[in-house]
Amino acid sequence: MSKFFKTIMAFAFLSVLPFSASAEVTFVSWGGAYTESQIKAYGDTYSDPDSIIFEPYNGGLGEVRAQVESGNVAWDIVDVLPSEAIIGCDEGLFEDLSDVEWSPAPDGTSMEDDLAASGVTIMPPCCAPQIFWTYVAFYDPDNFPGNWSGAKPTGIADFFDVQNFPGKRGVHTWANAIVEMALVADGVAVTDVYDVLETSEGVDRAFAKLDTIKDHIVHWSAGSKPLELVKSGEVVMSLAYNGRIGAANMSEGENFEYIWEGQVIEQEYICLMNGAPNRDAAIDFMIHASSSESQAEQAKYITYGPMRASGIDIIAAGEPWFHTGVDVLSQMPNTPEKIAISVIGDPTWWADNGSEISERYGAWMGN
Amino acid sequence: MEANISTAEQILTTDGIPLKDSLKKTERRNKIKAFLLVFPLLLFIIVTFIVPIFDMLGRSIDDSQINTVYPKTFEEYKKWDKDAEELPPEEVYKAIYYELGEGDKIQIGRALTRMNYSKSGWKSLIKKTQRQIKKDLKAEVVIASYKERLIEINEKWADRTYWYAMTQMLNERTPIYYWNALDRTYDAEMNVVMQSEERRIYIKTWIKTFKVSVYVTFFCLLLGFPVAHLLANLPLRYSNLLMIFVLLPFWTSLLVRTTAWIVMLQQNGVINGVLVWLGVLSDDGRIQMVYNETGTLIAMTQILLPFMILPLYSVMKVIPPSHLRAAANLGAKPFTAFVRVYLPQTVPGMSAGGLLVFVLAIGYFITPELVGGKDGQLIGHWIAYHLKTTLNWGLCAAMGAILLGIMLILYWLYNKIVGIENIKLG
Repeated sequence: MSKFFKTIMAFAFLSVLPFSASAEVTFVSWGGAYTESQIKAYGDTYSDPDSIIFEPYNGGLGEVRAQVESGNVAWDIVDVLPSEAIIGCDEGLFEDLSDVEWSPAPDGTSMEDDLAASGVTIMPPCCAPQIFWTYVAFYDPDNFPGNWSGAKPTGIADFFDVQNFPGKRGVHTWANAIVEMALVADGVAVTDVYDVLETSEGVDRAFAKLDTIKDHIVHWSAGSKPLELVKSGEVVMSLAYNGRIGAANMSEGENFEYIWEGQVIEQEYICLMNGAPNRDAAIDFMIHASSSESQAEQAKYITYGPMRASGIDIIAAGEPWFHTGVDVLSQMPNTPEKIAISVIGDPTWWADNGSEISERYGAWMGN
Repeated sequence: MEANISTAEQILTTDGIPLKDSLKKTERRNKIKAFLLVFPLLLFIIVTFIVPIFDMLGRSIDDSQINTVYPKTFEEYKKWDKDAEELPPEEVYKAIYYELGEGDKIQIGRALTRMNYSKSGWKSLIKKTQRQIKKDLKAEVVIASYKERLIEINEKWADRTYWYAMTQMLNERTPIYYWNALDRTYDAEMNVVMQSEERRIYIKTWIKTFKVSVYVTFFCLLLGFPVAHLLANLPLRYSNLLMIFVLLPFWTSLLVRTTAWIVMLQQNGVINGVLVWLGVLSDDGRIQMVYNETGTLIAMTQILLPFMILPLYSVMKVIPPSHLRAAANLGAKPFTAFVRVYLPQTVPGMSAGGLLVFVLAIGYFITPELVGGKDGQLIGHWIAYHLKTTLNWGLCAAMGAILLGIMLILYWLYNKIVGIENIKLG
């Protein structure tokens, strides 16, 4: 066998072998500005910053399940959506952390009570809280359509009101949040949304409301798109992730206006992989990352809100909090007064009904 | 003397071994060597291609996991006479009570994903019930009627639709995922019926996927044929330059090209802008060309075009120009010469390009995802959704298997009609 051939073979075998587990904790998240903020807020403030490796992924539980099922777990901590946190926990893809002692708020409030103060009553047992992010409607006051006759949209009902606020609306291509918003726009109180959705009549009602703006919707699927749509005037209002709007306002000199009333607040969790190679170190880091201080710290770099109510208090006391030296609370989706006018997304309902609603929404879009 | 050479064994090599054996030996050694050389590749193909395909096919009919969780319940359930009793008999309630109370939490959790797909709501119903049963068992509550106890825990246990949905899961090997992928499900008697109306999305998506793929292939052929012809017939220095225009986009990232199309096609984009500027369209009458099926069609056609041009080009390149001249010499008009002499010779290239484009189009994901918007999503969108979000891998596998099946049927049809030996990539 020639030397060349041997070398090739050696490389071939090496590339097949999985990379061996090191003592470093692998933290998998969405990438981009979001992961950047996690590195600064959790990684750099950790006792041993170099021991945490941040890696991007595309979301979803597909890869998580593949790793756990094959027994070849390479990740330690995964940043997931709330309904995925629930499904992953049920399926045993994530490890149950009920016994972990999470760090209390500065005034001693337990994490559980701290979360309850933000309106989150059920925490997936395999996960630690991260941030609130929201689906929120927004528009560009510098690009104000003349046919609104000077009126400003103030609530989600205006988003659904094409008579008084004519023009196209940007909406995402999946069902989350838009169903809830339709009900709020139809007059359901923000706290009653999921009770109404529990019945099939409630779901029908939401879709009937959606029908009223169907011909006025431009559907987007990438998170950066709604900003372009609004900026270019392709649509007059759009739903978007609030952090994207915040980044445009705080770092790119935009002047987008939020329509907070009727926004849907979503949770975000970090969960421990079942069979994580560096379990203990990972748990230690999760305790650090979910502490009130770390959560508040993150708001210096991105406008997703801390899930722990005490995190908001820290920010309020420390304004101007953003790393550029400006106030951040006005861009934060979960100050107490905003929570009162928002739907707190119910991941349990979505874990239960997600596929049915998604299929229905897909059929609705295509019709 | 001559009689002795009648058999070949008599011929010996210098070291006394019969020549035939010696030859055989070297040949075998060569064969082993050759096999060893391709062995890594073979192994690679088996591991990365054959095994996953069979694993997928297996998953698409496999429902054994849930059957290990509820063996007793399912057994009792099958005895339920649905005409005679409105709700399942006490034994069914009792069986599920204990299987939930004493079963492995993670196994039940995995079964939940599957149950929830047959009927939304199973997930929280089972979880809530399970918690309560565990408490019951711990407190050693004496239960007179398991049926009443379960309904007391959650009134959904008195809802027949939940129980009817269980028919989908009763067998360890099941075609139900294929039915689900075709908007069908089982009713209480395990007859195949249509899915509830507002949930029907898959057949429509299959048809759309197929339609878009056919259109894309057709447009690629329509646009690619003249380009390939030009490339094949221009003098080398011009055709090389033109080839760059074909290859450059081909080498450009898929995402970049897709996004570029969004910029071109959107309502305030380049094309609409030019049309409004020219006065063809009014400012309010801008056409919606992206975030719908049109956008998917346009972007996919452009992205897949090189896959049509390149095989066509390589086939056209070797068609001797003398054939056309001979046809003309024999009295054929240019059109006749083209249709009857030139065109038939390009069939291998058209087939190769067509098959290539169609195969790629039917499984396309990222471009339709980005430009598809409201009605431009293809079946890949739903496979990805169930793979990542609902974790209903049985359904994903069934959809994948259907895609594979469509391809095999097409391949077979193609072989029947055109003949697979007629395919030529260069």
